[in-house]
Amino acid sequence: MYLSREEERIYNGDFGWAYEISMKILVKLGDLYGAERLIPIESAHVSGVSYKTIGNAPIEFLEALVASNGRVKVDSTINPSSIDFEDPSFNLLPGELIEKQKRIIDLYSALGIEPTLTCTPYYIRQIRTGSHVSWAESSAVIYANSILGAWTNREGGPSALASALIGKTPDYGLHRPENRRASVLVKVEADILSESDYGSLGIYLGKVLGDSIPVIQGKIVREECFLKQMGAAMATSGMVSMFYLNGLDGVSQIEEKITVDNRDIRRSYEELSSAFEKPDLIFIGCPHCSLEEIKSISSLLYGRRIKEDIKLWVCTPRFIRSRAYDCVKVIEASGGRVISDTCAVVTWLRELGVETLVTNSAKTAYYAPLMSNVKAILLPLKKCIEVALREV
Amino acid sequence: MEMILKGRPIVPGAASGTALVSTKPLSFLGGVDPKTGIIIERDHDLYGRSIKGFILCFPHGHGSTVGSYVLYSLAKNGLAPKAIVNMLSDPVVVVGAIIANIPMVDKIDITQIKTGDVVEVNGSLGIVKVFRR
Repeated sequence: MYLSREEERIYNGDFGWAYEISMKILVKLGDLYGAERLIPIESAHVSGVSYKTIGNAPIEFLEALVASNGRVKVDSTINPSSIDFEDPSFNLLPGELIEKQKRIIDLYSALGIEPTLTCTPYYIRQIRTGSHVSWAESSAVIYANSILGAWTNREGGPSALASALIGKTPDYGLHRPENRRASVLVKVEADILSESDYGSLGIYLGKVLGDSIPVIQGKIVREECFLKQMGAAMATSGMVSMFYLNGLDGVSQIEEKITVDNRDIRRSYEELSSAFEKPDLIFIGCPHCSLEEIKSISSLLYGRRIKEDIKLWVCTPRFIRSRAYDCVKVIEASGGRVISDTCAVVTWLRELGVETLVTNSAKTAYYAPLMSNVKAILLPLKKCIEVALREV
Repeated sequence: MEMILKGRPIVPGAASGTALVSTKPLSFLGGVDPKTGIIIERDHDLYGRSIKGFILCFPHGHGSTVGSYVLYSLAKNGLAPKAIVNMLSDPVVVVGAIIANIPMVDKIDITQIKTGDVVEVNGSLGIVKVFRR
């Protein structure tokens, strides 16, 4: 791989260990995956924040980066943590967990990363079409490539962090136009009408697509929250990092055709719903809600009360929460909580008294049983809210 | 008996020791206890074994990318393997070996290596020498 003179000096440790080790990570990945050079990035999004998911793993490495004065070179954001420190529900958790979670966030902040603590950094800062970025968090990666028109590989926590410190990424994979062509044509013949239908479709597609790029045609609506759910789900059950819709962009190399009908979607729903018991938690906000989603939830809840024995969580970036003051008031007046900095996938559900959850997110329905040993039911938003409100 | 296997250099450095060989992919996050170096992934063929000080041979990594940090912690706590040999490396293990400074070679047919063999790994040249009694 070609390195400029300055990049070589970084590689040789002239600017300290934090930059040296970051450069070594990028150069090795570039060598392995055929990059010829490093290219500048406009932002980095780093995963590996929730203490529930990752434990102590990153602490020692982050401490070493901070000790050698590492600072990020580009706008950098981080994924959700395991706790909303401003919401009293989380006070139930043992003090040690709270301290460890704080420590991890402080270390990322000390590197100059904004503690955004969200999986939807694109709701906080706009990103230019055609810009190269280095993002971890698979749902944000597929959103960036497919909806925002940005270019990113599916980074892991460590490689996104290395890119943040150097401000560059090796030029391979989805940073190259020749690798952004679709190879599979998906025809949707199923009637998909809600965000959870799109999520079910995404889980189904992820399983059959692996890491291919599809063009999705048929009965598809370009509704932002539908596409967000579909992408997040595809990246959950598969390694899909990009999709195209309808149009003919990139259709030149189609090798395979797939048709999806109503039965496929129904089966996908059945696989994602592991419970018929009464839920303890209704969870909306995976990926974190946009302002529009917060508005529709608050209009469904306006003037209503949710049941005493059910929790309703609406998770959204703190930035959005602060701009949705009236909606937050409506949701919280109904008995729900608008929560930031975490979500049901990466917090301690069992410790918070949750055994069964209802969600409109196929990604959560897929992960919650695996990661938190809770049961899940997948329903569209309106039905989720009905469950919360319905009289027994 | 001596056997020389040629692979691809991943992380420079040389190490020799006893081979610990697995036929299964390994997830470092949730699969290896960073406080003891013991494999805790329940259905893994090395379940219950410590990887400390061995030449660890396995097909490739899987699971969370944060697994790289587990290798760093293992090294800091003196519990890391002396070297890593993979069939085909993946970014999680590569990045982990770089930050933990563990010599590593991939593109090696690890079925040629048995647990207990004495192995010399040259991560700079991508060569693995196997000695069997």
